[in-house]
Amino acid sequence: MGKLTKITSMLFLAAMIFLTACSKDSGEKASTTGEKDKTMFLGMVNPPILFNPINSSDVASQFAEKFMFDSFLEMTGPQEFAPKLAESFETTDNQTYTITLNKNAKWSDGKPVTADDVAFTFNLVANPVVETVVGGYISMFQGLDENGKLQGGDKEIPSVKIIDEKKIEFKTKTPVDPNMIKEQLGTKFMILPKHALEKIEPAKLSQDPFMQNPTVTNGAYQFVQYKKDQYVEFKQNPDYYQGKVELSKLFIKVMPAANLVAQLQTGELHMNVAGGIGKIVPTDYETVEKIETVKTKTENTFGFQSMMFNTETIKDPKIRKAFAQAVDRQQIVDKLLKGYGEVIDGPYTTINPYLNKDLKTITYDPAAAKKALEEAGWDFEKELNFIVPTGNKVREQAADIITQNLKDAGVKVKMTTFDFPTLMAKGKAGEFDALLMGFTFTLDPDVSSLYTKTGAYNFMSYDNPKSDELLNKGKSEADPEKRKKLYDEVQEIWEEDMPIITLFSDFDFSAVSKKVTNGEPKVFGFHHETFKWNIEGAN
Amino acid sequence: MFQYMVRRILIAIPVLFGVTIFSFLIVNLAPGNPVDMQVNPYATEADIQTKKEALGLNDPIHIQYVHWLVNLAKGDFGYSFSTYEPVLTMIVDRIGPTLLLMGAALVLAYVIAIPIGILSATKQYSWMDYFTTSFSFIGISIPNFFLGLGLIYIFAITFQIFPTGGMNTLGNEGGLMDTLAHLIMPAIVLATGIAGNMVRYVRSSMLEILGQDYLRTARSKGLKEFFVVNKHALKNALIPIITVIGVDIPMLIGGAVVTEQIFQWPGLGQLTIQSIGSRDYPTLMAINLMAAIAVLLSNLIADMLYSVADPRIKYN
Repeated sequence: MGKLTKITSMLFLAAMIFLTACSKDSGEKASTTGEKDKTMFLGMVNPPILFNPINSSDVASQFAEKFMFDSFLEMTGPQEFAPKLAESFETTDNQTYTITLNKNAKWSDGKPVTADDVAFTFNLVANPVVETVVGGYISMFQGLDENGKLQGGDKEIPSVKIIDEKKIEFKTKTPVDPNMIKEQLGTKFMILPKHALEKIEPAKLSQDPFMQNPTVTNGAYQFVQYKKDQYVEFKQNPDYYQGKVELSKLFIKVMPAANLVAQLQTGELHMNVAGGIGKIVPTDYETVEKIETVKTKTENTFGFQSMMFNTETIKDPKIRKAFAQAVDRQQIVDKLLKGYGEVIDGPYTTINPYLNKDLKTITYDPAAAKKALEEAGWDFEKELNFIVPTGNKVREQAADIITQNLKDAGVKVKMTTFDFPTLMAKGKAGEFDALLMGFTFTLDPDVSSLYTKTGAYNFMSYDNPKSDELLNKGKSEADPEKRKKLYDEVQEIWEEDMPIITLFSDFDFSAVSKKVTNGEPKVFGFHHETFKWNIEGAN
Repeated sequence: MFQYMVRRILIAIPVLFGVTIFSFLIVNLAPGNPVDMQVNPYATEADIQTKKEALGLNDPIHIQYVHWLVNLAKGDFGYSFSTYEPVLTMIVDRIGPTLLLMGAALVLAYVIAIPIGILSATKQYSWMDYFTTSFSFIGISIPNFFLGLGLIYIFAITFQIFPTGGMNTLGNEGGLMDTLAHLIMPAIVLATGIAGNMVRYVRSSMLEILGQDYLRTARSKGLKEFFVVNKHALKNALIPIITVIGVDIPMLIGGAVVTEQIFQWPGLGQLTIQSIGSRDYPTLMAINLMAAIAVLLSNLIADMLYSVADPRIKYN
């Protein structure tokens, strides 16, 4: 073997590596437009998973989808609804609802958005072989079984009637509060194009390439590409029914929270999307406020972090209340959230009209807590099995404060951190005494998945028939006044039973570049009139 | 040599089988399941059941494994339980960036570390030696996330020379220079650790060789010191170095989880973490299988290279 051969063979691997990598890269060259386009960059932490409007369970995917798929309505404030894909969304008897679609609404391939598309999507979600995570939005439709699905090979929901090309009617099993229907079905449900997807076998729909690459959409922006974990690229819909789209391109960039701040500083981002998916960490708030090129904003939200108690292992509500009293929640808000949060006891934050304002919030009182524990006969030798999910730094740090607080009250605590799937498994199996978890429900007060005996999130094994009854009544009560009374009453019960205590609801803190002339993160109606979003000059 | 390779490859097959069985078991033993991660308050119980059935999670585990194996034999890695994409597509999308990043980091590390290691060994106990030894220690011990964030702060935010992350400038794709600008910082971060390690291996391996008699003979023949060191000594010092390279190469596939995360580099490391987080069994299995193949292959390559570096080593 010659000397040259040896060297060559030594370097062979390195060269191969480079060639493989480079050849792929050069093959993906995209054309540069060269024009001075208006492009906006949004920063987000959680990467979207897929773009299947009926099968995306993560908030990041839903957020991205709403730029290209319009919902019927948009919620612009607590129970204020603005028309979007639906010109009107009405009911006269709280049971029969009529949706009239915008007459100019078109799919991106030029075909009109019709009542057929709406019925097609409803039928898919009700089809028991279709993978979906939005079944709850239509499970109250008349003609569906108690699981909210079609029975015995039926393909169409009998109570859904197409009136004409742009008008569709559906009926619920019992009268329901129109605000609930409008919020869930109206602002969260997105329809699929029938003409593009009807030939696909329903059981295979979730695996269809369309769900990665939605080519036929109806929103203000059209899908260009998703570079996994890097960015989602959208371009304007040149023929949007609500008006001319100002931006030519829109990017949602995915990055760790620390980089959000860095890129806001360098101007690479126009805003962070806030919410649960694009949060700036509270320790960076001050840094961000000092950036001259951005303005910041804070909003109350309706999401919350909570501590669940296992009512099987901690049977006495007095003990659970004492634990709640022992935790210094205000300190968590002040120290970890820099004051950008509020302390509440239940699932309704102060922006929720259903919050029972007559109830007194539990205040931190370690001495009283200790006394109550002694009186209730808490075994101070028992070790409290406290489990905490990873993935939310503030929550993890809050767990440390809680542990310390409980120790101060004389309670022995063993805190363990788990990744989310493990925590879910332990929660379901009831292998804990206390656990932390965050929730964002709709503004509608129905929280039966958390509090009812059979609720999917009722890891507390909470079982109070009175509470279940009130929640079920609440869900089927159409009159908002009467509903309010029911929910006021159930909140009183929870305050006594204390199966779960809310630790805090953190505010949304967002930063928007001063270059942006229209568009900003909003708790209500983020996607309202996205076609008007604009930035000054060209970039 | 050829026979030896064939034999090694044949031995690899049962090893791979064992790896798949073990990883399938372990992946499935992890608490929680993929459907848990897809539940939201608006998915009904019926929705969850449909999903479990569709993903085959209701079958007993050995049936699931056989399904997986049969599909694999047909060249089908299945589809992801989280994104519903074919697993193969997901991996093909990620492997390019990972190879580029890790390849660049490894090459950079070796190009820096090998000469420095040699120099440090030949000038043992000089200030240069102390300097490189301490620096290699710093290189090994500095955490990637710290170095990464530090570089971002200095070069991306303060001086704005390099972009903070990603692989291309958005909306202005392509261009080798653009990718290179994105590549430099993460490659440096990764290379620092690898180079720190490498310097120490090269140095100690060279030190051992430099005292040998045959080098004295070479010197006494009047050979220039440069040739003595770089030709006669280095060649024999290469064996342990090749072993280290053989261990490093599987990293090319595994990617660098932390660094990829910090610089939003769209590689396999990120995919692995996400797949674990979402209990995406098929994707995890495919990554495991690939990693196993990479380890076996790079060991084989390292063994082959021994005989290139040292003709005394022969396989038959």
